[in-house]
Amino acid sequence: MPNPVNFKKTFLFIAVLSWFLLLGNILLNHSQSQLSASLAGVSDYLNYILKAAFVIAIFMLQRISVNSIKGLDFIGYLWKLFTRAGITAYICIVLYLGYEVYTNYYTDTNLYLLEVIYTINFAFFIYFIAKAFYIWRRLILFQKTKALDFEWRWFEILLYSTILLSIFRLDYTSIIFIPLLALLALYVLFLSSHLKWVAYLTSGKRWRSIFLLLAILLSQGIFIWYFTETIPETSGIQLNYLDDPFILLAGMFVVTYTGISFLVAFFSLPTSSVFEQKRDDLLNFQRLTQLIQQGEDEQQVYKTLFDSAIKASNTDAAWLEILIDEGSEVIEVLNLEESNIVQIRNLVQSFIITNVDYINGNLDNNIHFKALQLPYKSIYVVPLKSPQLRTYGVLYLLKDIEQGYDRETVNVIRTFASQTILTIENLRLASEALQNERYKEELKIASSVQDSLIPKTFPRDTWFEISCFSQAAKEVGGDFYDFLQLSESRIAIIIGDVSGKGISAAFHMAQMKGIFHGLMQDDLEPVKFMVKANQALTHCLERTSFITSALYIIDYKMRGFFFARAGHCHTLYYNSMTEETFYFNTDGLGLGIIRDQSYGKRIHNMHYDYNPGDVMVIYTDGIVEARNIKQEEYGEDRLREMLAQTYHLNADDIKYAIINDVNDFSQDMPIHDDQTLIVIKFLNVQQN
Amino acid sequence: MKITHQINDKTITISLDGELDASSSVMLDEELSKPEIMLFSKILVDCERLNYISSAGLGVFISHLQRFEDAQIKLIFFNMQEKVKNVFEILGLDLLMTIVSSYDEAMTVANE
Repeated sequence: MPNPVNFKKTFLFIAVLSWFLLLGNILLNHSQSQLSASLAGVSDYLNYILKAAFVIAIFMLQRISVNSIKGLDFIGYLWKLFTRAGITAYICIVLYLGYEVYTNYYTDTNLYLLEVIYTINFAFFIYFIAKAFYIWRRLILFQKTKALDFEWRWFEILLYSTILLSIFRLDYTSIIFIPLLALLALYVLFLSSHLKWVAYLTSGKRWRSIFLLLAILLSQGIFIWYFTETIPETSGIQLNYLDDPFILLAGMFVVTYTGISFLVAFFSLPTSSVFEQKRDDLLNFQRLTQLIQQGEDEQQVYKTLFDSAIKASNTDAAWLEILIDEGSEVIEVLNLEESNIVQIRNLVQSFIITNVDYINGNLDNNIHFKALQLPYKSIYVVPLKSPQLRTYGVLYLLKDIEQGYDRETVNVIRTFASQTILTIENLRLASEALQNERYKEELKIASSVQDSLIPKTFPRDTWFEISCFSQAAKEVGGDFYDFLQLSESRIAIIIGDVSGKGISAAFHMAQMKGIFHGLMQDDLEPVKFMVKANQALTHCLERTSFITSALYIIDYKMRGFFFARAGHCHTLYYNSMTEETFYFNTDGLGLGIIRDQSYGKRIHNMHYDYNPGDVMVIYTDGIVEARNIKQEEYGEDRLREMLAQTYHLNADDIKYAIINDVNDFSQDMPIHDDQTLIVIKFLNVQQN
Repeated sequence: MKITHQINDKTITISLDGELDASSSVMLDEELSKPEIMLFSKILVDCERLNYISSAGLGVFISHLQRFEDAQIKLIFFNMQEKVKNVFEILGLDLLMTIVSSYDEAMTVANE
């Protein structure tokens, strides 16, 4: 596809060349008036060909150049048409008058000069018609449909085909062509009815367009006057340029469309404000929806609603109040005093049901309102409420005419109100989502902090193996375990479970860790530790919370351990001498349940001598209370059975075996409580 | 969780039906926090249909325990399922609270 610029140059070249040849030929004909008949025929025919070439070249040139104008600036189109083409009509008239003056004062008539001016004016006229033709095309095809596009294309094809009539010198006024051309003229009328663009002119632009259209009409008038009135039949002009169906039809189209556009623009002036209003409403509506994306705050949304509603209803006074915790707060006001607002609100609240739109177009009939001596005669109260009937605020609109709020206005404002609610709710959702995201981040931090509170490695020694597992049901949990090396041969191990889950449990778990490390510096025996811990927790545990715990102090020199159980799960034990697996069923009350000195009576020290090969399993209730799909609990019996089968393995493998069994049991059920499991296997002391 | 109660003179019998977890514990706490509960001299808790009790549920009873004791109101649990009873026992609550097997036994203990 060749470059459009090249096309332009080509057409321009053809146009200029054909015009000069045309002029030359005509002048030549005049100088040799006694040409033979056959030669005159050829010359005449040449004129027609050159004229057709010129017209087509100009039209094609305009077709390309007008096409490149983009946008919806209709005034711009009209202005371009007038300044670039319409002005030629005035040059035309100047040339004509100049010729008249010249012939009146100096010579009689100068046929050569007349022909030159006539041909120049013809060129102007064709330029004007072509430009107008293609600018009107842009306007007609504004918001085109497929059908309209198709219709226009056929119009152009049919129109251009009429050029053939003049090239072949067929008499278009004959009985065959007149009906066809008349039909084409009707087609022109039909096409001229497409005037959508006029509706898009604002009233200011409409006035300008009317003046421009008038000026363009005037240009057309001048041309018509020039070509029909100033060139008499007897003037000796060789070729009547306008005697051509193409030019006549194109001209007719241009004149018709200009005329109709002018009339439509002029007579739609009174209704244009309605269209403008509708368009403004639409734009405001759009603005409201876009506020979310722009990250605006609620104040901005309310302000947009307020401004839009005032514009849409032409309201004289208004205010917008939003509901806050106690009462309401007026955030936007138009033409009203604070005292007026209070008076009107009290009045309105006295006779309407809340949460319902209220319109009164006859405030004069209300004695109470009349007593306020305000100039308003209509009121419209719009509560801003969500579909869930949550009310965000109330919009009050007042007008100084009766029945000021018609159904149309009310509908628009109602739409604004519901869009506002939607926007507000979306904004809130967005900020909530952000907040949640932040909470999640914080929880992650809490989770990692808590993770750091749980020891990852136990002291490694030759006399025992230890293996731990811990998993929280939520990001943070209430299970904990820890150890403290008391002396070379003694180690304290604690396990615990704070009632409840989540953040509060995690806090208490951290507290418990502190208590453990603080108290065990004094190397307390288990019961003493529990009593002191219970006392310490009295001051920092809320009434409904408690902690279960078990403390073990293992002494490998003595090959025995002391322990105390404060309401914690029973310790599971495998004795390698008796080859028995059993639970230590001891008594002991949880921490924080009794908060006085009597707690000491509720907890007991136990001592047990171990043998190498014995296994101790310490856990929290998340293990034995793990549930399967049938809501059955894993239970102490299954746990004991597992140890009975796996005691011969090392501590790690026993732990994995138990965890796998618990997971197999609960299948895909989510864990609903924190799980902790510690397996300790006692070994023979290896001599280094 | 369904909590119902039956009043007979100075005795209120609270029946727990379902699972006493973190959310239903709040309901139970509201029930036990009502001022009129202090007008009774005996509170019997029917645990026949109590399938599960969480630490939050235990916490509710623990938090009211001292208050009832101070007001000399007897708190007696009866008809408790074995696995629920086990939870009470592990925590050591069986030695702190009165847990009996039947309604009749509960009434006998209450009238002592």
